[in-house]
Amino acid sequence: MTAPSPVRRSWLLTPISHPDRVSNAPSAGADVIVLDLAEFVAEPDKPAAREFLRDCLVPAKSTGAEVFVQIDPELMLADLTAAVWPGLDGIVVTRAETPEQVVAIDAIISQLESRRGMSPGSVEMVLSLETALGNHNGFEVATASSRTWGLSLGRADLVMDLRPEPSGETHLMQYLTQRLVTLASAAGTVPLGAWWRFPDRGLLATPENTLAAAQRGRAIGFRGSFCIRDNQVRPLNAGFTPSESEVAAAHALCEVYAAAIASGTSTTVSVDERVLTPDIVAQAANTIALADACSTRDRFKAAAVEGIPIPVP
Amino acid sequence: MASTTRRLKRSGLTMPIVTPRFINNAWHRGCDYINMDLEDSVPPHLKDVARNLVRESIPVVNKGGADAVCRINHDLMEADLNAVVWPGLMMVNYPKAEYGHEIERMDAIITRLEAERGIRPGAVEIGANIETAVGVANAYEIVTASPRVRDFGGASGYDMSRDLGVEMFVDFDQFVYGKGEVELAARAAGREPRAAPFTPNITGSVSDPDRAFAEADAARKCGFRIGGGLHPAVVEPQIRGFAPSDDEVSDARWVLQEYRKLTRTGDTWVQIDVSQVDREASPRPMAADSYLGRHRVIDGYEAARAEELLQWQSLCQERDREKAEAMDRVRAAEAAESPS
Repeated sequence: MTAPSPVRRSWLLTPISHPDRVSNAPSAGADVIVLDLAEFVAEPDKPAAREFLRDCLVPAKSTGAEVFVQIDPELMLADLTAAVWPGLDGIVVTRAETPEQVVAIDAIISQLESRRGMSPGSVEMVLSLETALGNHNGFEVATASSRTWGLSLGRADLVMDLRPEPSGETHLMQYLTQRLVTLASAAGTVPLGAWWRFPDRGLLATPENTLAAAQRGRAIGFRGSFCIRDNQVRPLNAGFTPSESEVAAAHALCEVYAAAIASGTSTTVSVDERVLTPDIVAQAANTIALADACSTRDRFKAAAVEGIPIPVP
Repeated sequence: MASTTRRLKRSGLTMPIVTPRFINNAWHRGCDYINMDLEDSVPPHLKDVARNLVRESIPVVNKGGADAVCRINHDLMEADLNAVVWPGLMMVNYPKAEYGHEIERMDAIITRLEAERGIRPGAVEIGANIETAVGVANAYEIVTASPRVRDFGGASGYDMSRDLGVEMFVDFDQFVYGKGEVELAARAAGREPRAAPFTPNITGSVSDPDRAFAEADAARKCGFRIGGGLHPAVVEPQIRGFAPSDDEVSDARWVLQEYRKLTRTGDTWVQIDVSQVDREASPRPMAADSYLGRHRVIDGYEAARAEELLQWQSLCQERDREKAEAMDRVRAAEAAESPS
């Protein structure tokens, strides 16, 4: 089991060029607000958006969300200079493609951290592998910087032009998602994404479809996902939180196992026709730990909404 | 026949070069290319005879405007290339590609033959087909070994099934991983992926026109542009299946019209309820009950996709016209020759 990582189930993409959306974003209840400079800001609006960004960071955290900024690697210097200020938790890199690019971004962040009195290495990175080359280089990209916390496919369906098949699945996605989950885990990073199906596209879906995509996504190893609309946030939080029945079953399983081991009668324990191995029990314990972490995160956000100061989980 | 412009490969027939009846009639079928086969359909004792038939067959298969392609043997690559690379040949199909150095070697030989035989340098494409596990493992080095590899695919089909020891005709996709690797390599190298959505085929039929249409239609909607087959009955359904429908063309024009409006705002996307759009308007979106759903997003992606569809439609029309004119010329010449 790797070190416990923060619960980041929902990542709400919010274009900085739309001040109304920026000021409304905290009310959606996301674990992470992603202030976007790259995907949803029209080119002429970018300079003004960069100017405005610094003043958005702290207010965006008013309901207990963490704040990341999404940048375009082609414009890394301008975007990072605008984004890396105290209060920033991390950077999302769209269209991440090569290890060299990630190293360059890491170096700029380091300079800005030092110049702006931030603790070295505090700014994390999530890399969106949205191009074929980025996915092809996935493992090298994922391991290029110690700041990299997570990997996602971002909007690969649009960037790579992957369209729905007659089955409703998006072409190539079964392969790409499993590949991403595997190499993210191999690199010691967190896979982010959901299992979207037609007509979901580009991270956009109804609340119902978002919940289903999150539940399927969690089942194949994703731990949280980006979204575009406020009404997708709660479905993502719910879909990436273990259900009450899952948690109850996990508790029951751990108890049976502990009792059997304590009685010393056997090292082989079975429940209903399942043999319990230490791995299965550890997995159940992880489910319980994740549920606890989710509930701590939710209590923290609720406290922030009510203005009660409590320490960051 | 090969030129610098993109050659369409919607439909192509693979024919044994040693069966004159097939080769001499193939040009009537209206396919975009004809693949003269030296490989699986030619028995070992006829390989020498077969490769020497290609040069004279190129103008025969070209008659109806089809491009000439030749599938050579993996293990006889050098002898086959020497016999088949002649003016008029668009592409050499290389089966069971496994290593980048094989493609580099082919490129060098073809480059020499082009110079010696008066062929425009770089004209002859290499169709590198992935049909083995080794080929899957080396997909990226293969696709990047030569700029002559312009489209790339494989990792399914008869040879792949045999190589992996799996039954080919089943109702599930047994090649998800290998096809994924090959398609990702093609895309990462900036080449056109030769792929299609999975459609179950448990009979193994190669001549079912309805199946051929459904597969081409699904491939087109998924963004793929390359087909081919073994039986004349699938040619027309493939050409039809790869052509955008009138509704799709109107839809693409509507998307571009809405995108132009969007670019005058500060937004990068907008959602439109297409059930509210006048059904008599022109251009108009596809009907709300279509597979696209009631709400449509307009953004840069949709606009690029609409542009591509309109370009594809005009390429298809241009190619169909080119073939029709070639067909008319042959018929006129035959009429002039035959005694009245």
